[in-house]
Amino acid sequence: MDKNAIKELVSSLGEEKVVTDKEIVRLYSKESSGLSGNAIAVLFPESAEEVSRIASIAYRLEIPIYPQGSSSSLSGNAFPSKMGVIVSFERMNKVKNVSLIDSVAIVEPGVRIEELNFMLEEKGYMFPIDPASQSIATIGGAINNGAGGLRGAKYGTMKDWVNGLEVVIPDENGTRLSLGCLTIKCRHGYDLVRLIIGSEGTLALVVGAALRIVPIPERVVTILSFFNRLEDLLNAFVEIKESGVQPYIAEFMDKKTVELAAKGVDISFSPNGNMLLISIDTTAESSGRVMNWLVDTMKRHNAIEIQSALMQQEAEEKGLFKIRRNLFSAQSRLGKKEGRPSRVFIEDIVVPPSKIPAAVSKLREIGEKYGFIVSLGGHIGDGNIHPSVVYDPEDEEEKKKVYRWFEEVMEVSLELGGSISAEHGIGTMKKGGMKMEFSEKSSEKAIDIMREIKAVFDPKCILNPGKVFDC
Amino acid sequence: MKPLEEILKDVSRCVYCGFCESVCPTLPFGPHRGYGPRGRINLIINSIKEGNLSQEAASSIYSCLLCNACSEVCPMKIDIAGDIREMKALINRGAFGPISIKIRER
Repeated sequence: MDKNAIKELVSSLGEEKVVTDKEIVRLYSKESSGLSGNAIAVLFPESAEEVSRIASIAYRLEIPIYPQGSSSSLSGNAFPSKMGVIVSFERMNKVKNVSLIDSVAIVEPGVRIEELNFMLEEKGYMFPIDPASQSIATIGGAINNGAGGLRGAKYGTMKDWVNGLEVVIPDENGTRLSLGCLTIKCRHGYDLVRLIIGSEGTLALVVGAALRIVPIPERVVTILSFFNRLEDLLNAFVEIKESGVQPYIAEFMDKKTVELAAKGVDISFSPNGNMLLISIDTTAESSGRVMNWLVDTMKRHNAIEIQSALMQQEAEEKGLFKIRRNLFSAQSRLGKKEGRPSRVFIEDIVVPPSKIPAAVSKLREIGEKYGFIVSLGGHIGDGNIHPSVVYDPEDEEEKKKVYRWFEEVMEVSLELGGSISAEHGIGTMKKGGMKMEFSEKSSEKAIDIMREIKAVFDPKCILNPGKVFDC
Repeated sequence: MKPLEEILKDVSRCVYCGFCESVCPTLPFGPHRGYGPRGRINLIINSIKEGNLSQEAASSIYSCLLCNACSEVCPMKIDIAGDIREMKALINRGAFGPISIKIRER
């Protein structure tokens, strides 16, 4: 069957768009989560029409399809979990149109978020969803994973920034559908756009999107503060919220993580304690007033070190974002054993922001119980925490311990009224966690409904099978 | 020359984040991920572990310009360009048998 399928795909797409070299296919069969599988080929469509032909062939031959952006997913969302074809959208990477009047950008799925923002920046606009992986994360991947980022508290996640989608569904004809609108306001029956966002490629192949864009704020003031007590940090954040201010960025890292992330970072101040990074968008006229108020607020809550900048450029020059940006690097190297292979396991729970001190305390206890050095940082503005550990993937005992740690971390989120995943998704790794969450909420039927929806879009279960739930 | 084990030890630290791909000048013109740093060092891992290298994999490694932009952004501080340079030398010396290099464009 494999040979026939390849022959048919080559005849439909052309040889240069079908790669079967095993070594190259392996590069697409792996993702950041550390999970890997195998596939018979990687396909590189260059148009929606070609994706439609792939979907039609795969439907007829019942071959699993794994849509893929940059494979930076962290929950087992993108790798081929059984033999099939990988559809890489890297050649569908054009920004087709940008309209400032309509506040919309029409893009193909393979456009990287950072590239889109480079283009928009020249016009004074931006696409505000900024996952830490934005330099390589694609729009298609971000849509399918329902991605968020540093500006989540102010701007939400992908579900809030997609007006319309062009998709292909796996049926006899590889039917193309245009869903949603170019406009923000759009009411035409059930919201299939929001259903597909975050569906992890299990419902449809996204071949185009109409994205909302916004002007870049005139000024962004930034304050970086350090506190001995996490409670003081949270109280400072509470005061900002209670004053009617929604920060542009609100990030935190606990003391141990700050120590690790600050290593090797070239800055002129001494980071010490739990870190709160706040940026607020202002006008040129109000920036000084807002900054004075922020400094006073941090002092009132016993900040032991304060660094500030009235403009974005000044914040960059002073290195105010450097420690936060070094988080992934610190997380990746934390607890790594010399000479041994390592995998970083980055969790993605969310709790109401008011519960962050309780969550941090519980997460520290769990880490100590299993003997892991846990790094704790995340988005205080929206309650999304990314505890992480590094483990040796070839050490079976350690792997078992990591999975137990992982389950207990998810339990913490549910105990505190949160959720097991904020922005990384379910993939294969959190299927159990998703069941646990719906069971906790006495809503198991929700998963049955999802399964029925999946069957309507993808009756042969060939689209990213084995992800989110089994079918 | 770095010994093979040392190259393998260094590239095996890759966490597959792909940050290196954002600065690679060859990847946008290559036919697939093999023409970027993440692809190249993972091809190196597999070829050293398994002792063989396909023509496509060797050509992908060979397409590197050794500009070092990737090593600068790697969160694991892997000496990506240095390891690729060593691998090119090994391919040249026939460590993986006779391979004819054929660099392709997208």
